[in-house]
Amino acid sequence: MTTAVSSSSSLSSRAKTWWTILRISLEERFVYRGDFALGTLMRFLPIITQVFLWGAIFAASGNNAIQGYTANAVVAYYMLTMISRAFSSMPGLCSGIALQVRDGEIKKYLIQPIDLLGFLLITRVAHKLCYYAIAIIPFTLVFYLCRGFFENGWPEATVLVAYGLALTMGFLLGFFIEASLGLVSFWFLEVTSLVFVYNLLNFFLSGHMFPLDLLPEWANQMVRLLPFQYLAYFPAAVFLGRIEQDELWFGLGVEACWLLAFVVLSRVMLNRGIHRYSGFGG
Amino acid sequence: MPMALIELNNLQKTYRVYQKKEGLRASIKGLFKRKYKEVQAVRGIDLQVEQGEFVAFLGPNGAGKTTTLKLLSGVIHPTAGSATVMGHIPWRRENDYRRRFALVMGQKNQLWWDLPAQESFRLHQQIYGIEPDTFQHTLDELSDLLGLRELLSQPVRELSLGERMKMELTAALLHSPEVLFLDEPTIGLDVVAQHNIQQFLKYYQEKRKITILLTSHYMKDVAALCKRVVIIADGQIQYDGSLSGIIDETTNRKLVTLQFADPIDKRLLGSLKRFGHIVHHEAPRVKLGVTRDDVPAMLTAILDAYDIDDLIVEEPPLEEVIADVFARVSETSATQSELGLSRSNDTQVGEAE
Amino acid sequence: MAGYRPSYSRVFLTFARNSLVRDMSFRTNFILQSISTVSWTIMNIGFYLIVFQYTDSIGEDTGWGRDEFFVFLATTWIINSLVQTFFMPNAQQFSELIRSGNLDFALLKPIDTQFVISFPRVDWAALSNLFMGLTLLGYSLFQLTTRETNPLILDWRAVLMYPFYIACGTVIMYSVMITLASTSVWLGRNQTLYNFWFYITNFSRYPMEIYKVGWGMALWVFFTFLIPVLLVVNIPARIMAKPLNTMETHYWQLAGYSIFATLICLTVSRRIFVRALKSYRSASS
Repeated sequence: MTTAVSSSSSLSSRAKTWWTILRISLEERFVYRGDFALGTLMRFLPIITQVFLWGAIFAASGNNAIQGYTANAVVAYYMLTMISRAFSSMPGLCSGIALQVRDGEIKKYLIQPIDLLGFLLITRVAHKLCYYAIAIIPFTLVFYLCRGFFENGWPEATVLVAYGLALTMGFLLGFFIEASLGLVSFWFLEVTSLVFVYNLLNFFLSGHMFPLDLLPEWANQMVRLLPFQYLAYFPAAVFLGRIEQDELWFGLGVEACWLLAFVVLSRVMLNRGIHRYSGFGG
Repeated sequence: MPMALIELNNLQKTYRVYQKKEGLRASIKGLFKRKYKEVQAVRGIDLQVEQGEFVAFLGPNGAGKTTTLKLLSGVIHPTAGSATVMGHIPWRRENDYRRRFALVMGQKNQLWWDLPAQESFRLHQQIYGIEPDTFQHTLDELSDLLGLRELLSQPVRELSLGERMKMELTAALLHSPEVLFLDEPTIGLDVVAQHNIQQFLKYYQEKRKITILLTSHYMKDVAALCKRVVIIADGQIQYDGSLSGIIDETTNRKLVTLQFADPIDKRLLGSLKRFGHIVHHEAPRVKLGVTRDDVPAMLTAILDAYDIDDLIVEEPPLEEVIADVFARVSETSATQSELGLSRSNDTQVGEAE
Repeated sequence: MAGYRPSYSRVFLTFARNSLVRDMSFRTNFILQSISTVSWTIMNIGFYLIVFQYTDSIGEDTGWGRDEFFVFLATTWIINSLVQTFFMPNAQQFSELIRSGNLDFALLKPIDTQFVISFPRVDWAALSNLFMGLTLLGYSLFQLTTRETNPLILDWRAVLMYPFYIACGTVIMYSVMITLASTSVWLGRNQTLYNFWFYITNFSRYPMEIYKVGWGMALWVFFTFLIPVLLVVNIPARIMAKPLNTMETHYWQLAGYSIFATLICLTVSRRIFVRALKSYRSASS
């Protein structure tokens, strides 16, 4: 972080700053109500097509299960990836950073005693909190109505704890990956295409498009070496009990390593980027 | 009586604005229940402009100048009242009307940002259906006048603000409009660029005898260009007449600057106060504000009593006079609303949704 | 001068040309965008190849086997690429114009405002999907016509009807899109426009047979008659992928209805657009 926190008073003043930022971003979110309502509603639409698509696939295949997934389990999987994505997706983060670099607004963070990554993280938390404070109602409703798809019911407590950990780290991992991508704009101004490519890969490799277990074995092995699976597949698979106990903690450990790597990466990129930026004289 | 080229009768525009309240709780409440308030941007403007006039709209921010121009361009619809420009009702947006006028806004640009301006111009040519020869001729003429020739093939984003404004003007004039609306055309420009644009507008208007309505914050624009000035404040016309008339009509002050041969001391300053109030003093000069009728008597008295090196009698600067007018308007409207006489300006219209 | 009408086709060509000049000045971006568009389609094929490892067709007795379905997929891409090339950037731009108040300039032009809003930008990079679509169409038609059992015989009527219905579908999509974009006037910031568009059109990406189970019928009715996006891909794909003489009566009826729906969509969206313009307030600066 930028400056050392020397006394408790500066700590409380800093906490106050963060709180103010959090509050303002919450307010900002609520003002655009029309957007908000539409956004929450439509998140559930793609699940519907998935239900019917997989219904049709299973009906024609003549099998009850594909790679251990029943038709219901596939739908449950898609619903769970929605939760994973709700945590790990960071709409507008990368392009936001790029825009700030391009407009020179980034200078603000050089002058004001605010840490850019900290600021962005806290506003992101605000956005998510705000969104899901309202969205939890339709989410709960949909999950309640669709509880039939979850054939195994609730998982046991340890799995739930692991699930919570996986989601939280998924959120942080998503944040730091996208922040790193956004910081690339210190070197290349045009990053929108980069974001597009990232989103594309993410959609496929995170398991958002389909359960990764359906991939041919060799592809599956490769995909498991990448960090993407933690953004959607991993938490969902944990919840569905598809991951064995010992594998579970190992997986969480690997996820933590990825997280640490991206925290460090984004921090280094920010420092180097700002150094380079001020070198240009803005 | 023949109709004026531009005619406004009791033109009004009211906006409904969502009132955002401070605080998180209010924001959450805003999700479900919203309070709107009505803002009367234009509260009944009557105006006639004849062909060939160059009229300036003056007024503080939010006075309704820009809204009036937008109504006349047909960009927005009025809440009440009527207007015709060259016999057309602007907000019907007939193509025949739209081909005959242009609007330039200092704060917005219409040229393609990433392309050379000439590409946007060519697009204009096609949209307005300008004959290729006429188009080339007009473009040559305008770019020579504005000194743009070398810049035509440069992407607009690489141009300076002043150059961009000149390009915007060129784009607006390509179809030789008969009426031109200019909204803050010199905003944010440096003195040189401002002067260039003023010179150009003056020349162009005199040559083509087109009708121009201009809003500006810069009194220099107005003084250089417009014989007729309309002061709008609080959504209404406060003054309509010549520029010099503003001073005659709205102030009875003159400024007298005296340059003393002897050093100025406190006693001298004190004794000067009986002639008028001291606006400014910096040895060896003193500037006094004096009631117009008192000037001759005052001068006689002063020349009698002191040793004066130099003496200037002048009108107060236009900016100040106009600022006085604005201040007076906002004062009256404030008093009126205190007395409950407000013309239902910021009335709550209940809660919608 | 009075009564002069601008040549819409020439204005459109200039729009297209200017967009190309602009795209070319950001060449890296253009190439990256084309690459990502193409990789998206490849990922899509990948997904369905995986699916068809586990099943022979999408839905029981629907006739949407692997190659037939690839015709369907190709049709989706062709229509999507047309929409993305010609309309998507403009719809997004339209929302932005409303927000920033720059719509003023469009309103000043002596040309139809909907035209000048709908066409100024052409996203040439998105056209790469059209080539992917055409390639996949060619490949899967080749597979269908040359397979040993029950090969498809191309009917010249189908070949003529296909582009016609592609056009109809594109127009329906355009209407939905311009309607969505118009709502920015009332809803303010409309970041979710693209998402909403994606989710609605998502229903159009699959054979309509899959919805005809249980309560899916309600969806089928909704997206066939109220927001007729189900017709967009289904009608041309059905005509092309499977023999015309096996086409059921109700499909023929739907094909006829599709023309009607196209006209209705266009009219309704035009009305909403005009209404939106009336409510436009023109933000200052």
